[in-house]
Amino acid sequence: MPTPVLICDDSSFARKQMARAIPASWDVEIGFASNGEEALEAIRAGRGDILFLDLNMPGLDGYQVLETIRREDLPTLVVVVSGDVQPEARERVRRLGALEFIRKPIDPERISELLDRFGIRLEADTTARRDLTGIESEVTDFDIYQEIANVAMGRAADLLARYLGVFVQLPVPEVRLITHDDLAGLLPDAHTEITAITQGFVSGPIVGEALLLFEEAHAQGLEDLLPELDCQAGEIRMDAANLLIGACLRGIADPLDAEFGLSHPVILPAGKPLTEQIRPFVRALAFRFVYRIEKHAMECELLLLFTEDSLPALSERVEALHA
Amino acid sequence: MPENGRPAMPLHELHWLLDMVHNLDAGLVIIDREHRVHLWNRFMENHSGIPADRILGQPLRTFFPDLPEEWLEHKFRTVLDMNLTSFSIWRQRPYLFRFPPPRPFTSRAEFMYQNVTMLPLRSVDGKVDHAGIILYDVTESALARNQLETMNRELEKLSRIDRLTGLYNRGFWEECLHAEFRRFRRTRQPATLVMFDVDHFKRINDTWGHQAGDEVLRALAQLTRDSIRTTDIAGRYGGEEFGIILVDTEETRAVHLAERLRREVERLEIPHGETALRVTISLGISQVREQLDSHDQWLACADAALYQAKREGRNRYVVRPCLDCG
Repeated sequence: MPTPVLICDDSSFARKQMARAIPASWDVEIGFASNGEEALEAIRAGRGDILFLDLNMPGLDGYQVLETIRREDLPTLVVVVSGDVQPEARERVRRLGALEFIRKPIDPERISELLDRFGIRLEADTTARRDLTGIESEVTDFDIYQEIANVAMGRAADLLARYLGVFVQLPVPEVRLITHDDLAGLLPDAHTEITAITQGFVSGPIVGEALLLFEEAHAQGLEDLLPELDCQAGEIRMDAANLLIGACLRGIADPLDAEFGLSHPVILPAGKPLTEQIRPFVRALAFRFVYRIEKHAMECELLLLFTEDSLPALSERVEALHA
Repeated sequence: MPENGRPAMPLHELHWLLDMVHNLDAGLVIIDREHRVHLWNRFMENHSGIPADRILGQPLRTFFPDLPEEWLEHKFRTVLDMNLTSFSIWRQRPYLFRFPPPRPFTSRAEFMYQNVTMLPLRSVDGKVDHAGIILYDVTESALARNQLETMNRELEKLSRIDRLTGLYNRGFWEECLHAEFRRFRRTRQPATLVMFDVDHFKRINDTWGHQAGDEVLRALAQLTRDSIRTTDIAGRYGGEEFGIILVDTEETRAVHLAERLRREVERLEIPHGETALRVTISLGISQVREQLDSHDQWLACADAALYQAKREGRNRYVVRPCLDCG
């Protein structure tokens, strides 16, 4: 009888990628869940002997799913598959009973290794690909952007976590097409005091700008984290911005097979609302990330804006990932 | 050892050097006498959207039809024939290659401002057949500079304007009077000065308060602005006294303006709370003459005419030829 395997991820693109990474020679019955509640439901119904679980999901997240499994002693083996690769994230899920931690983007080799370690014997031909036609719903460009954003965010958070020696909370990033009027909803309230550091990025037809926003009330914590460093407060923010913008863009560039050139960072003048400092545009693709360090009451927001002219090229690159 | 006497560079160092060149935050291009491209680094790839493998070996104009070919050729000749490095800065030529601004959302720039250095490159055989182009993105400093200049102009303007009335302040207006006087000395073109002030202004202040006084001055300034030509120069000379320099105008024509202004002020109702304030003005008119030694004397003439108008009963104008002045 085939082993019931459950893949739980809020991104349809990620679910498909995970399913694809499972060796065709492994006799399994693959099921899908797009959120934590659905996953628990399926496990209780006996459709998830093995669970590949994403961590950052809206609603019930991966940590909460793990807690529930342990509390209710549900019959499943959990492998966490996550873009959040901070050391502490690995540690946390192990403590919550996960068997293994696989980083996104998934390397199929790792899956085979893992199965081997679990003592699951595969047929000789491990390279054959599983036929996935008809088992998954349509994946849109936006699903892919969303998943690219998730992975990129995790990568950036990992660097920040190592740099500061803390754990960084990662709310699910937002990806959407916006007009200039939508900006107000993406930016902190116009009356809050913020520091905005911005850098342009360009790779041929793909052009955009990364804005890192520190709310003054939430940025103090950053300086407290590095008291031994003998540098100006502004410099620490610039360093953090550098790291987050650089790592996040790298995370986005890699799957798109692009390499971004970055312009010098600029601190936008305070005292003028950001919405007025951003020139009028008709449409833009916006990625919005929030990085939060709860213990130190630190929070910052990273906004990546791609120009409308970049959209065809972006879409073309993403097309290659559908295949 | 190579010709230049330096030891040959180890391969791994050459690799680093190439990596630096490729990733330098400036554009690097090498072209030959036919303007064919021989180096196109990542900066150029990224900002132009043209990958190196497409443009290498091709003439620049194939990809950049808007390039200033003649200018480029001229620069290129200087570099190759005279073996000299040549420069171009954004102030004279904002850009060589039109690239999008480096920050598309928060920058006010429409394009990337560029400074360009062009230098001769010697081949192994010692001949100079190629030029290297280094392209610097100077958008930030160019914008900052432009902004500073705009602000300076604003400040300069502010220091010329009387805050209350919006007319020129005394300092700047007097400078204009001086300039007009010098112009008369040079060209003998006529010009007439009209000085006027509000009759019994103190009474308005005492009765209705200073705010009412300010409203009267503002209303008179507006009326003055509406009555004069754009070439005429009106200023607030002091308290309730105004001056108008009528360029290219003789006394006889200035009289028409003075009388019209006087009548309109007389009819003017200046709302103040529940009431309407009414005032009159007295004017002194003086055309510039050769006998005058300075613009101060010209002003004294007009002033003398103004005081005569006051003495004769106010709400009138007096023309006083400068010959009569002391």
